[in-house]
Amino acid sequence: MPRLSTSLLRNAKAIDPLLPSLLRPCRTLQAAQNELRWLREHVLGDHRTRNHTAAHQASILRRLVRDRASGKPLQYILGTEFFGDLEIACRPGVLIPRQETAASITHLTHLLLTCGALPRSLRVLDLCTGTGCIPLLFRHELLSARNDTRLQLLGIDISPSALALAKHNAQRLTNDTPHISIEFLRSNILSTAPPDSLAHTLTTHSQPTTWEILISNPPYISPSAFWKSTTRSVRGFEPKLALVPPALKPGIGDTEQGDVFYSRLLAVAEEVGARVVLVEVADLEQAGRVARIVKKKNVWDGVEIWRDWPDGHEEEQGGGDEERLGCKILGSGNGRSVVFWREEGRAWLGK
Amino acid sequence: MSTLPWVCRNCLSRITRPTFRRLVRYQSTGTIVASRESIPSGLLARARQIAVEHKELTDKLANDFDPRAARKVGEYGPIVDALKAWDNANKSVAELTGLIHDPETDAELRELAADDLSATRESLVDASQSLTTSLVPVHPFAHLPCLIEIRPGVGGSEAAIFAGDLLRMYQAFCNRHGIRATLLKYENVNGTQEAGLPLSEAILEVGNEGAYGMFRCEAGVHRVQRVPATETKGRVHTSAVSVLVLPSIGENSLGEEDINDPESDYYIDPKEVKLEVMRARGAGGQHVNTTESAVRLTHTPTNTVVSMQDFRSQPKNKEKAWQLLRSRVAQLRREKREEELTALRRSVVGVAKTGRGDKVRTYNWGQQRVTDHRSGTTVHDLDDVMGGGQTLEKVMDSVRTWLMEQDVQALIAEQTTEKK
Repeated sequence: MPRLSTSLLRNAKAIDPLLPSLLRPCRTLQAAQNELRWLREHVLGDHRTRNHTAAHQASILRRLVRDRASGKPLQYILGTEFFGDLEIACRPGVLIPRQETAASITHLTHLLLTCGALPRSLRVLDLCTGTGCIPLLFRHELLSARNDTRLQLLGIDISPSALALAKHNAQRLTNDTPHISIEFLRSNILSTAPPDSLAHTLTTHSQPTTWEILISNPPYISPSAFWKSTTRSVRGFEPKLALVPPALKPGIGDTEQGDVFYSRLLAVAEEVGARVVLVEVADLEQAGRVARIVKKKNVWDGVEIWRDWPDGHEEEQGGGDEERLGCKILGSGNGRSVVFWREEGRAWLGK
Repeated sequence: MSTLPWVCRNCLSRITRPTFRRLVRYQSTGTIVASRESIPSGLLARARQIAVEHKELTDKLANDFDPRAARKVGEYGPIVDALKAWDNANKSVAELTGLIHDPETDAELRELAADDLSATRESLVDASQSLTTSLVPVHPFAHLPCLIEIRPGVGGSEAAIFAGDLLRMYQAFCNRHGIRATLLKYENVNGTQEAGLPLSEAILEVGNEGAYGMFRCEAGVHRVQRVPATETKGRVHTSAVSVLVLPSIGENSLGEEDINDPESDYYIDPKEVKLEVMRARGAGGQHVNTTESAVRLTHTPTNTVVSMQDFRSQPKNKEKAWQLLRSRVAQLRREKREEELTALRRSVVGVAKTGRGDKVRTYNWGQQRVTDHRSGTTVHDLDDVMGGGQTLEKVMDSVRTWLMEQDVQALIAEQTTEKK
């Protein structure tokens, strides 16, 4: 990372003495100014600090800026992050929802809603749900477009703190709609034997065993990429459990460890009879590897790779990616998710 | 030999001039409603023409129904009613004056007639006024809420301070009148949102229906003359602040069909807009947890750029940016469309442009005076004006009347050129 120029720091200090320290995580003046403004609004608007004296508020603000300068994500300091139209609560120990995930989910629901062939009742399973942002956004998007579809949403995570937060978010963001249910359960997706396995969890909680749509944003960063390409704020403050898959056996290769979840997710997709599956990936290379496994299975009718902003205009990046990876690539940005389908799924996506 | 003592030339010339020049600014553009009961012949002719058309349409409607004709009849109705009232009042005035001037009328009757005449004259004034207002076209955006954009012009930090004063003035005005006004964007010279510092840009959204018709008169350059707080030697500075008033379209002011209707000024083809969102640098996804939510929209045909980064939520930024872009593009289109008409009108009646670029009002601290250069109104209760009180209302009223008169004048000019 290039060093911050002295003139930039001096300019920042002339605007506000708190800005230079915010430049460290933000890198640009504009971003630092925005973050300072949001922090200030938070201190002035939060019910706990609203009635303090101005001097007390200023000291709280200084403390928050110091926290932020040390790399603590703004979302943990403010307690929320926007995911699509929803404001999702965030807590340390649970991965912060990402904008790119929201873009993929929004695009997926948009496709499902415009196809006209969607069944009247739909079951959506989200594995590694974290804050519960994916099922909540799915519900929100579907509900804002139509009100006649019965929807059953289930989020699965291994971390008890994530489940507690997901339940809290569901309580905050949903009102009583009898035809839409949303639940969160604890299970270990990687384990195949009871009592931890997904199949066992579903049966013991008397959940259905078939799910039409499967979505997952699993840990997908390989150990070496974790040290090389993640930012300090991610590395130091977000849970490694949600970022890097565990090494299942000793001596496992670096890329192999990054891909641990996908073969298991594919097995689960077949187990629950999914028609449409969307899994998030780290980059085009990983997307290509996942697409290759999908094709090898011979059960899926089609596979596509979506970039960060799938609804954006098609972007030619050096060209030849589609031929090299052997499947269609949509949108602009980094390779972000792999989408595959079978049977009715083709009509639902309008492919 | 002259008996007069020597008088210096300066004093001599001063004798011929009055000691005090009257500090009154006369209205530079004369009003057209010269006497309050007469109606300009062009307008009257137009009214008669409309009445004839109205009659034809009603006859036609009696036989078969045509929705377009029915709507037109509805539009013309008030004009025809007003014309009828004016004709009646005119006739009775003529009758009464005839009665008074007739030598055969006896004295008692003449007295009664004279009493009646004054009452009838008053009703004639009312009738002619309602006829004029019914004929003047209502501004197509008058019913909409509006955005007031305030930016300092020439004059450095003093202009920025005065821009803040103006913002507070409009906020106070809205408060007093119970109008819903929300700050859409507020940025002081430091680029932060802290209040009390000189302002660099503010956008006030006035949410009430009809707000655009109300604040339309405020658009233009507002000039301030005072000793600034930043001045150390006590000199009077002149600075300027530009105020832009745009009709705003929120979700409730215009229906979906207006935005989606290609004929509407607010229609923007999404293909013509380039959307840029701030992206995480590098790998993205789980690798970074960026808070960048800025959105920039570029409308390629007009090269209008709108960027919004006030909210943490990207969809919200996008929505607000679209709203702002629609308003700006609509204003551009309207200005362009009006340009030809304005050129025509200006050649006849010298209508001042009320968009950007012209000084419209002066706030003078030294004389505690506010002068509006369009209507020629001068008021002296500066504090009340800056507090958004009655006096500001008075000034705005005068400008609105002036705008209406200009519209009438332009209408007549248009009709006379049409005839030629």
